[in-house]
Amino acid sequence: MDERSLESNREFKTHRSPVLSNSDNSILNGVRIHRKEENKMGGKTLRVVHYLNQFFGGIGGEDKAHAEPQIKIGPIGPGKAVQGAFGDQGKVVATIICGDNYFAERIEDATTEVMNLIKSQEPDVVIAGPAFDAGRYGIACGAVCKRAQSQLGIPAVTGMFVENPGVDLFRKDVYIIETESSARRMSDVISKMVNIACRLVAREKMGKPSFEGYFARGYLNNEVSDRIGAERVVSMLLAKLRGEPFQSEVPPPRYDRVKPASGLKDLHVATIALVTDGGLVPKGNPDRIQAREATRFGSYSFNDTDGLNPDDYEVNHVGYSPVFVLQDPHRLVPVDVMLDLEKEGVIGKLHKKFYSTAGAVCVVENIRTMGQAIAKELKDEGVSGVILTST
Amino acid sequence: MRLQLDILNIKDVQFGDGTRITDGVLYINRQELQEFLKEDKRLSRVDIELAHPGEKCRIIQASDAAEPRAKTKGGVDFPGALGKQGPVGQGNTCVLRGTAVVASEYRREGDPPMQPGFPRHGRIIDMSGPGAELSIYGKTHNIVLVPWPANEISVQEYRIALKIAELKTAVYLAKAGKDLKPDEIEVYELPAPSKIEKGLEHLPKVAYIFQFIPGQFETIPGYPVLYGSNASSIVPTILHPNEILDGAMVTPYRTMAIDVFGLQNHSIIKELYQRHGKDLCFAGVIITVGHGDERENERAAIMSANLAKWVLGADGVILTKSGGGIPEVPLALTAQRCEDLGVRTSVAITHYPADVGDADGSILFNAPEVDAIVSLGTPWNPITLPPVDRIIGEPAAFPEGPPVDGPIETTLRWMKGVLSQTGNSRLIAVRY
Amino acid sequence: MLTKELERAGLPTAHICALTPVAQMVGSNRIIPAASVLHPVGDPNRDPAAEKAFRRGIVERALRHLHD
Repeated sequence: MDERSLESNREFKTHRSPVLSNSDNSILNGVRIHRKEENKMGGKTLRVVHYLNQFFGGIGGEDKAHAEPQIKIGPIGPGKAVQGAFGDQGKVVATIICGDNYFAERIEDATTEVMNLIKSQEPDVVIAGPAFDAGRYGIACGAVCKRAQSQLGIPAVTGMFVENPGVDLFRKDVYIIETESSARRMSDVISKMVNIACRLVAREKMGKPSFEGYFARGYLNNEVSDRIGAERVVSMLLAKLRGEPFQSEVPPPRYDRVKPASGLKDLHVATIALVTDGGLVPKGNPDRIQAREATRFGSYSFNDTDGLNPDDYEVNHVGYSPVFVLQDPHRLVPVDVMLDLEKEGVIGKLHKKFYSTAGAVCVVENIRTMGQAIAKELKDEGVSGVILTST
Repeated sequence: MRLQLDILNIKDVQFGDGTRITDGVLYINRQELQEFLKEDKRLSRVDIELAHPGEKCRIIQASDAAEPRAKTKGGVDFPGALGKQGPVGQGNTCVLRGTAVVASEYRREGDPPMQPGFPRHGRIIDMSGPGAELSIYGKTHNIVLVPWPANEISVQEYRIALKIAELKTAVYLAKAGKDLKPDEIEVYELPAPSKIEKGLEHLPKVAYIFQFIPGQFETIPGYPVLYGSNASSIVPTILHPNEILDGAMVTPYRTMAIDVFGLQNHSIIKELYQRHGKDLCFAGVIITVGHGDERENERAAIMSANLAKWVLGADGVILTKSGGGIPEVPLALTAQRCEDLGVRTSVAITHYPADVGDADGSILFNAPEVDAIVSLGTPWNPITLPPVDRIIGEPAAFPEGPPVDGPIETTLRWMKGVLSQTGNSRLIAVRY
Repeated sequence: MLTKELERAGLPTAHICALTPVAQMVGSNRIIPAASVLHPVGDPNRDPAAEKAFRRGIVERALRHLHD
């Protein structure tokens, strides 16, 4: 009979220290050169258009930042490195140069103007920058790449430093190679950009951000590790206790900050509106607000004598149990108390509609859009301040 | 406390004249089991079906699963939940490995769904195809119970009866193995912290803080969770890990990616046991509960951290949760309080961002000291399930919905046994 | 995150929220702790009159945050 006790029956797997990857402001070692011998593009030489600002395009410095978009034949400046990286597989047929200020002062229109020049070259790939730490340039590169993808359906790649505002604005839509803040290691960065472009053209599965060198674009995908989670979490703790380097499997989130609006000078004359993301809706959910990943909101009038009657409402929200709110909706949207405060003159007016959506499992983009729309409606209706109640 | 699991490896399960185990095959007297379960008058009917790995069979509305286990010496089965109170975590427990009891919920028209948008098929276990490959229950011989509620009882009463039926069945089946020689033995023995054997002083002391109730869902009064009673308002306390492995704890009605089966086979507890004396000293387990309000969460965080540092003497703790996004807040708070006391932390979580394109929403906290995070995967990855020949369970009585035996486009969230909040899975969510 | 868009548009917003760490993390500026996830401005354990007074207390706090 097999008698094994837990202490001795299983082999203890050797703990392997994960490779430390410092993604703050350094480029990873090991440039990944695309394999020239694997010509997966079917032998056709790719037509490449390169976008540069006035400085890298050789027109001038800040004095030329208002330069209008112009087109030049062949590669210019860093474009030569782009050509070198593509080798036989691609030809930089044209370079579009535009002043950073010209672009920044009219982003939509400038993007269109640049796109028209790009289109004229019938490219297979667009390379923009890299912009390193230059903010206006980064935004231009991101905008051009995003439009090239959506309008022409071709791969477009750029490169920026982590603090470049273009990163947060465009990394979900565009592959952005991570660079240092200064324009060092230009050919290194360009090699990585070209590598991504070739993979996109060949429709190969893209490697992980840390491997290929681009900023994570925001997609989560499950993969299968070699060890179960229990083993990984114990090993990670032991590494941390020993002072060994470890790599967290989940990086911290990034959220933008907004400057608060100025407060109300006088509550007695203010109109206050109630907004909730607790999913309180009239029975039947007439606006079909989704219980999760909501894209819709509603505004619902209420009686200024009776407030909210539990028989008239339901809750559509997956993240909490609505039992108590269903018994008395005022526990989520405090209409009763606000009506009293209005009667007593503490506030000028209570807006007689409350706004509602569901904040469960929310998509940042959707919440942003809804927030903007709600804000507009409230302002149009003369509201000056908001109380938002969340679960 | 010394617990010995006497394990029988079961190769097949069939219905037969008497409930017994012969040559590794579990035979079940279906009628006897049905009658036993129907002694609970909250149930009007109990269907029992078998599902084997490889069959083109789909179990729907799977609400929980348990491994057939029965105390043969030195304890009581699921104390408090099945009536008798008593000790667990020591003595001998017979285990039928390779099988699982699955409870499939019967939803009457008008019964509240667990949440809005609940699909007709509820949670699924497929016995073949991509679903089976990913799920632990695609590899076990499953004894599926489909109990029907008696007419007048409330849905809450039914949900209690459903869990009790599952636990009773787990015990009933394992009793068939009580006089047989085990195929394997596992021993779990851990003395009190003050009595840890000499020679281990140099090893780092690691404790586990287990948030076993998420606090974001309503509690069903009378639901047997800890030694047979509710535990949603308890303050953090210490349990011996064997109590969790041996039936003192039962999952509440609504959790995410934890079953009774997962508690009985708690991967993190087993991992700590396995490495005890080798590269760590297993200091013990603290159980805690997530709350809906901040004051309670702060209280629980401070108390958990104090227990870890000043009672268990931990150098480091592992933390997990048992719900979606909301419980990550008390989890992170607890971790921060531990770090404040110099107790280092690592955390293992499943991610519930908005969808797979919202990796930035994948964790609901941002504390610099909580920097050792292990990903247990995300439930939002899509999966396509093929059509099947056989369905076990009743689709929910909701309006539209494609046929539950046809091909199904869904996400891992609706699969049972794929993700695991106790770290049993190899899935890891990677950002692209 | 709704609060940020409202503030961005110039509407001062007081956020009554049970999970204040989340509100802080995503960048709400005027945060008032709610009673509970399950009843942000209520308390089923109190009798109705006391509960309403309790609710008023939280709302008044929120209004003070809106005031300059």
